[in-house]
Amino acid sequence: MKRNLNSFVILIAVFFLVSTYHPFPGQAATAKEPVKIGVITPLSPPGDPAAGQLIVRGAKFGAKYVNEEMKGILGGRPIELMVEDDAGTPEKGVAAFRKLATKDKVIAAIGQYHSSVCTALVDVGAEYGIPTFSTGASASIITEKHQVTTFKTHVNDYDRATTWFDFFLSKGWKRIAVLAENTDYGVGLFEATKLIKEERGLKDVEINGIVFDRKVADLTPQLLMLKAWKPNVLLNIGVGDPTYRITKQAYDLGFFPQVPMMGAHDWPARPEYWKNLGAMGQYMMFINYYHPKMGLSPIGEWLKPRFDKEYGEIPTYMAYNAFGQIVLLARAINLAKSDDTKDLIKALEEGSFEFWAKGDVVQFKRLPGARWHNHTSPLQIVQFSKIDQPIEESIILWPPNMKTGEFVSP
Amino acid sequence: MLIPACGRNKHDAEVNTIDSTLISQYIIAGIVIGLIYSLMAMGITFIYSIMRIINWSMGEFYMVGGYLQYIIVSRLIGVKVWYIGVILSMIGVFLLGMLVQWLLIKPMFEGNVEKRAEYATIVTISLGVLFVNVAVIGAGPFIYSPPGYSHNTQILTLPLSGTRYVAFIGTIVLLSLFYLFLKKTWLGRALQGAAQNRIGIQTAGINVFRLDQIAFGIGVALAAAAGALLAPEFYLYPKCGNIATMKGFEIIVIAGLGSIPGVLCAGLLLGLIESLGAVFLNPSFRDVYGFLFLLAILAIKPTGLFGETERVA
Repeated sequence: MKRNLNSFVILIAVFFLVSTYHPFPGQAATAKEPVKIGVITPLSPPGDPAAGQLIVRGAKFGAKYVNEEMKGILGGRPIELMVEDDAGTPEKGVAAFRKLATKDKVIAAIGQYHSSVCTALVDVGAEYGIPTFSTGASASIITEKHQVTTFKTHVNDYDRATTWFDFFLSKGWKRIAVLAENTDYGVGLFEATKLIKEERGLKDVEINGIVFDRKVADLTPQLLMLKAWKPNVLLNIGVGDPTYRITKQAYDLGFFPQVPMMGAHDWPARPEYWKNLGAMGQYMMFINYYHPKMGLSPIGEWLKPRFDKEYGEIPTYMAYNAFGQIVLLARAINLAKSDDTKDLIKALEEGSFEFWAKGDVVQFKRLPGARWHNHTSPLQIVQFSKIDQPIEESIILWPPNMKTGEFVSP
Repeated sequence: MLIPACGRNKHDAEVNTIDSTLISQYIIAGIVIGLIYSLMAMGITFIYSIMRIINWSMGEFYMVGGYLQYIIVSRLIGVKVWYIGVILSMIGVFLLGMLVQWLLIKPMFEGNVEKRAEYATIVTISLGVLFVNVAVIGAGPFIYSPPGYSHNTQILTLPLSGTRYVAFIGTIVLLSLFYLFLKKTWLGRALQGAAQNRIGIQTAGINVFRLDQIAFGIGVALAAAAGALLAPEFYLYPKCGNIATMKGFEIIVIAGLGSIPGVLCAGLLLGLIESLGAVFLNPSFRDVYGFLFLLAILAIKPTGLFGETERVA
């Protein structure tokens, strides 16, 4: 018994010595200490978990690129992602951020998708002094708060509404129906659309909109009312399941595609779109942030085949954007030569960073209004002219310099 | 006839005029969705009437029914025989319900357990959380939908999706069969007996615990039927059962707990009130009208429209 006990103690001692031995103790410990980056994103309902999953996938490839292609940061330290689910609710997002800030000691947080959550996290990020990136949340208020710690590589409400407003006017569509969910995203875009009309003094343009509770399943009364108003176009401003319900129920009521519908973000670019809507999805137009015809930067080209091999589909915008943000952060940390958040913020403000789209360079400037620390990639309006059409074959309707075809109606 | 819509909020940029066609469409839409709401609520009130417990995980059984229908129709038998999928989904959830009742609910009826209602609340809420998380793990974060069951159609002035029409007819058929089952079969009459007097029916030699198990299975199978019928219409995702939960409980409070005819009536009333409230007041607050109606009913008749005051010996 005593012999066994002695053997056990010796074994533990040998294991301890082996596991703690390094030829160059100081350097090796530092080299292996990871730099942690938080990913707070919706991975369960009532958020949009499909978007969250795409963000996580992109971010993981971002870490892979940094760790394998860049050989780590600050002389070989790997990036480690700490993923948290915000479920699309501000309270869960705030709790996740506090955990990442205090327990995991992250140096930055990305992955924000829902505007209501991101708006809440902007202040928490400032409280901890941690750079907080919106990956897919667009409400103008996010950057309008002018927090030094807030960064966004995604469109804001005003730019998005300007894009569709210009397109509608080019088509002579002056009766605009809006069905918007009751979130910062939905209401923010509705307000931005009305603001542009007022700013331009367009008295002959009419906007008639309804804000709906995103938990409501049956939108028949709202759609009947808008249909009876005889609009030229219907704006579908929902996220997740409501966007599908609006499209399907409008189709069932003979509203769409007789009246053109514009999706307010790129949800039709996701693989599940055709599975869920089938023929009902034909003729849908939507705001898109990346079209395969745009081309990719070298890091974007690195991601595309690897993502396709791993998941059997080409990356969508959300995956590209999360990937790009991780690589951007790694380069900013190298530029700062430090993992201190104050140095990182300074580097983010002073540097120019290659992003994932061809020729797209990111700079974060302290500009007025919503353009504070905000980089917007070029927007397009695209349309699916055929059933089961892949995104790379969709028609680019807008802007004129990227246009590949004309609007198609039944 | 032109009627101005009023009470629009700042988001509604202008006032519409509403003609008689639109009003008729709203009434028909209200009746259709109201009847479908009734199916969502029927299982809750049926289980309560027999076992005197509220199953708070009813929405999750609705969700399970929807996912089962998706798997059966999309992967196994095809959409042409979608109705077989509904039946199989109901059977699957019926068996799941019987198992759940045997494992989790029955033990509290066997001993001299106090506060059964509280126990049932905790158990069924926990069960709902479990089902949602299993769905998140099993089905992932994506939204699913089986193909539509039928071509689009028209009821008088209202264009209607084939699936919603099928759900409307399916609800009438299922509720009629359920009524016949309760009135015309031995088991149905035994269940009614259990609802009236649990001790009395035991003295007649009937195993009331077995009736509980069957009642729980039937109740959740009705929710599954709603989930299976509406899966192509309202889409499937782990929390899609919230729709059934919210409307189901709203209806049983309006109807009065345990009243089966009341559920039918309350469902139709709720559908109509929501629909007409949307057209005459403000479509943004459609759900609020149902809750205002519920509050009014509680103020006037706290036991619900068809509920009875408990008789205490």
